[in-house]
Amino acid sequence: MTRMTLLALLLLSPSAGAASLTVFAAASLTDAFTEIGRAFDARTGHRTTFQFAGSQVLRAQLESGARADVFASANDAQFTPLLGRVVTSREVFARNRLTVIAPAGSAKVRSLRDLTGPGVRLVLAAPSVPVGEYTRRMLAAVDRSGTYGKDFAARALRNVVSEEGNVRQVALKVGLGEADAAVVYASDVTPTLKKTVRVVPLPTRFNQTAAYPLGVVRGSVSADAARAFVAFVKGREGQAILRRWGFLSP
Amino acid sequence: MRRAGLPWAGVLLGGLFAAFLLLPTLVLLSRGLGADFWGTLRSPAVLDALRVSLWTTGMTLLVTVVTGTPLAYLLARREFPGRALLDALLDLPVVLPPVVAGLGLLLTFGRGGLLVPGLELAGVSLAFSPAAVVLAQLFTAAPFYLRAAKAGFAAVDRDAEAAALTDGAGRWAAFRFITWPLAFPFLLEGLVLTWARALGEFGATILFAGSLQGRTRTVTLAIYGALDSELGPALVLSAVMVVVAFSVLLAVRMLAARRDRLDG
Repeated sequence: MTRMTLLALLLLSPSAGAASLTVFAAASLTDAFTEIGRAFDARTGHRTTFQFAGSQVLRAQLESGARADVFASANDAQFTPLLGRVVTSREVFARNRLTVIAPAGSAKVRSLRDLTGPGVRLVLAAPSVPVGEYTRRMLAAVDRSGTYGKDFAARALRNVVSEEGNVRQVALKVGLGEADAAVVYASDVTPTLKKTVRVVPLPTRFNQTAAYPLGVVRGSVSADAARAFVAFVKGREGQAILRRWGFLSP
Repeated sequence: MRRAGLPWAGVLLGGLFAAFLLLPTLVLLSRGLGADFWGTLRSPAVLDALRVSLWTTGMTLLVTVVTGTPLAYLLARREFPGRALLDALLDLPVVLPPVVAGLGLLLTFGRGGLLVPGLELAGVSLAFSPAAVVLAQLFTAAPFYLRAAKAGFAAVDRDAEAAALTDGAGRWAAFRFITWPLAFPFLLEGLVLTWARALGEFGATILFAGSLQGRTRTVTLAIYGALDSELGPALVLSAVMVVVAFSVLLAVRMLAARRDRLDG
């Protein structure tokens, strides 16, 4: 191969002017964002890497100076406090709903009411985790309605055997059959998880809507690429991928 | 030509490295012991974590001594087929990454696990219980005791035991009054190391036992959990762990010194 062809290859390859992009994203976005990242990289030639974790963990890391270009959170509680100081923009790009899951092979939990059954092992996310916050709001809504008795939330919370650090850990506990029930996002019931879990009906009037904000991190060394990523997520292709993984439009 | 005086480059590099190894602990101590140490120490989250850790590591030590001592004795004293292989394999948990240990425990003792039919019949359900925390600690930490105890039993003078037996002592009495006291410094050192390892257990516990305040959330899990919201409890618990770790080091040093005196 001659030097000329090598040069031509270099110029034609998409890595010309490519940036390395680091995206901090909520654990529930793991599958959707991984696919979005691949599509975005193929389109732009950038190289996107992700760190998926509970939004509260990512927020703590960003606050203590972690380097990232984009932050996507699963709720506002872990995002708005950063606005202005750590993150320069805020756009809601997706919504999500809660769902109750139980192991496919177990009949212990068939309805929401069963969450308070004796000996039911319920796994939730910790209150600082976005899905943990939405879950407690959902339980409070059930309480207010009085449908299942006044102290439904308190009785359900007494059945909690573990408080996990992100929603995927919560889903895993049911997937493995260790827990009798858990509350996760509708989008967490991925084709993989569907093989081992069963969805328990959650009345719409109790359900909560999660709103996902994302923004460019202040001091990003590739701010242009970061803005392009945000636009891609909000664009037709990004939205289509999110929809495919069970998210709702913003 | 040899230069006299200090090797300055070596001193500089060595000093930097020593500072690197010591600085984080000092920072933890100063941050953790500062400000509101006693107030935070008395908060329910911190007290619960300390209580869970003390209880579970205590149980771990008890089970380790009761079941580990006979095993170590057999391995040190008896010839049986496959002994060398078993001896080597029992060290495996020491080098295994803790999260791998946790996955192994989950797949063996969890609800979908290998031993499930037996455990269900016995009415035992381990997942998310303090017993699961103990199992995780036992699996990752007990081999330290096994190693030390084996070394201890191997070091005991066989003539002294033989003399006791010819003097009419029973086998149990010979063990109780000759072997056990002579091996004791080794056993104690092994116990201290096992306790330190059990106290620091994280990976296997979080996977196998879950995390619930006052039940399965040990000190290490509480530190990790507290990092999400407010740093206070994490700093205080970390400072406590630094002090504990220092005491463990001191204890091991003193035990080793005593053992060496006995040997000499």
